[in-house]
Amino acid sequence: MIQLQSIEKVYRTDTVETLAINGVNLSIAKGEFLSIMGPSGCGKSTLLNIIGLLDEPSKGNIKIDDQDLSRFSDQQLAKFRNQKLGFIFQSYHLINDLRVLDNVELPLLYRNSSAKERKMLATAALEKVGLSNRLKHFPTQLSGGQRQRVAIARAIVGNPQIILADEPTGNLDSAMGNEIMDILINLNKNEGTTIVMVTHDESMAHRTHRLVRLFDGSQVQ
Amino acid sequence: MFKHLFKLIWNKRKQNFLFLSEILVSFLVIFAVFSFLTFYYQNYSKPLGFEYKKVWSINYDNGLLTKNNDSLQLFYDNLYKSLKAMPQIEEVTYTGANYPYSNSTMSTGVNHQGKKFDRVNNYVVGADYKKVWNVSVIEGRWFLPEDVVTKNKHIIINETLKKQMFGKETAIGKLIGNYDDKEKMKVVGVVQDIKANGDFWPAGNAMFSRLDTGYLKNTSDILIKVRDGADATFESELYKFMANTMRNAVEIRHMDEMRDAKNEVTIMPMVIFIIIASFLIINVALGLFGVLWYNINKRKGEIGLRRAIGASGSAVSYQLVMEAMILATMSLIVGSFFAIQFPLLNVFNIPASVYIIAMLLSVLFIYLLVFACSLYPGKQASGIHPAVALHEE
Repeated sequence: MIQLQSIEKVYRTDTVETLAINGVNLSIAKGEFLSIMGPSGCGKSTLLNIIGLLDEPSKGNIKIDDQDLSRFSDQQLAKFRNQKLGFIFQSYHLINDLRVLDNVELPLLYRNSSAKERKMLATAALEKVGLSNRLKHFPTQLSGGQRQRVAIARAIVGNPQIILADEPTGNLDSAMGNEIMDILINLNKNEGTTIVMVTHDESMAHRTHRLVRLFDGSQVQ
Repeated sequence: MFKHLFKLIWNKRKQNFLFLSEILVSFLVIFAVFSFLTFYYQNYSKPLGFEYKKVWSINYDNGLLTKNNDSLQLFYDNLYKSLKAMPQIEEVTYTGANYPYSNSTMSTGVNHQGKKFDRVNNYVVGADYKKVWNVSVIEGRWFLPEDVVTKNKHIIINETLKKQMFGKETAIGKLIGNYDDKEKMKVVGVVQDIKANGDFWPAGNAMFSRLDTGYLKNTSDILIKVRDGADATFESELYKFMANTMRNAVEIRHMDEMRDAKNEVTIMPMVIFIIIASFLIINVALGLFGVLWYNINKRKGEIGLRRAIGASGSAVSYQLVMEAMILATMSLIVGSFFAIQFPLLNVFNIPASVYIIAMLLSVLFIYLLVFACSLYPGKQASGIHPAVALHEE
């Protein structure tokens, strides 16, 4: 499903050159739930951004669904992200000025979905994460766990094949974290969604199919 | 997307208050500027109605002359003949003080079929007034010598007053009442409007009545139309002749200079107003630019998120420009509500078309201003790297 070949990422300033990812080769199968671990600054999020087409590798190739994405234009990449990928972030990235339902509808705005269809799909996604009674709330009126569930609903509303989760339980207590993890596992199991998750939490990582460890930008496990 | 943006803006209306206020104030200022400009342009585009070139005015003080009407008549007849005999002079006429560009006004009211028409410019003119100014008679005729001895005083009106009083009907032969409707005056002619207050002001309602013997003692102005050869030497000779005749100082003025002076009275304040408004608009534009720039920096996380979930760079740019345009629309709706009161309430007695055109121009201007101010921040937003934006948040 996802193939990373000799991925390198170098950040350059006038005086400093930092190697964030160093020759990572990774293959992720369809329906796999993979976790990436490593100390802070080891390149986990950078790798996830590269997989999510939010960042370009300095060297190497990335293929998703056997498509070489290196020659995609900005428009094509945006469309690809919209249709194939779902994102979950540690800090939720909800728009506080929009109600829960509107937040979940966001990815569908960049498709040609009708308002009725958007509302139906967003409501269904919120039902899946157990938030059907919070449609009209603003994110600031929700707890951390509820916000992350909204973010998950937003990630799955477009029925993507891949979900990329960057420390989705990082801001939550263990009970809430487990709830979120349960939702992700169910998505993976029931919908067959491929999930790549960055985490610092060993116990969460051990609940996934495979664990990849990074250190100083290199894959060590 | 439009509904989504509207929701977003509505939910952030408190944060957008500054932006909305700036646009509203700008719109009102621009509306005022465009109202003036449209008013002036509409008047400027209408024909002047007379020829001012080579027309001079001679102002004199007849205080030393006899008060006897017959002697006065004789004196002025002789003066007229003397002036007319000068080879450099083509036409001569006596006139009341309120001739074009003179900064003097005399108005009255007239009545017709129970309706009163106020502020009608009342021009008291000599027989050759039409020839001096080359005024066009569009209906009926100009004054004849016998007009001074008629049962009803004969008058000539301008086309604006004719339209208001009689519409498409003929005005010739109609009787209209004087200011208190006690005396009837007969309309014998209709002349083209003359813009006596400069190129930028309307002619307004006007009526002309024949200068008669009784009015001579109040007369202190002669208008002459000179021929091409009339130069400074002739002006000097004319001055001496008039000063000797009147046994008093006289003043000779050229209409083209008086016209320039009259127009400057309109143009200069307008130029100052436009300069002040331009500074204000520049400040507003910088303000809008700053607010949009600030908003983009504050919303980097949101921009990153939108890029992540499927927005292209151009979609982000389009969204930010559209947001600014929707905000402008909200302000313009409020501004238009105030602006539309001007034509509805007939404020300053200015034609409604002036306000309507000014409103449309102002709306267009504000949209262009907001579009221009949002274009660059929008472009910058499209260039925000999603990974960096999401990380910063």
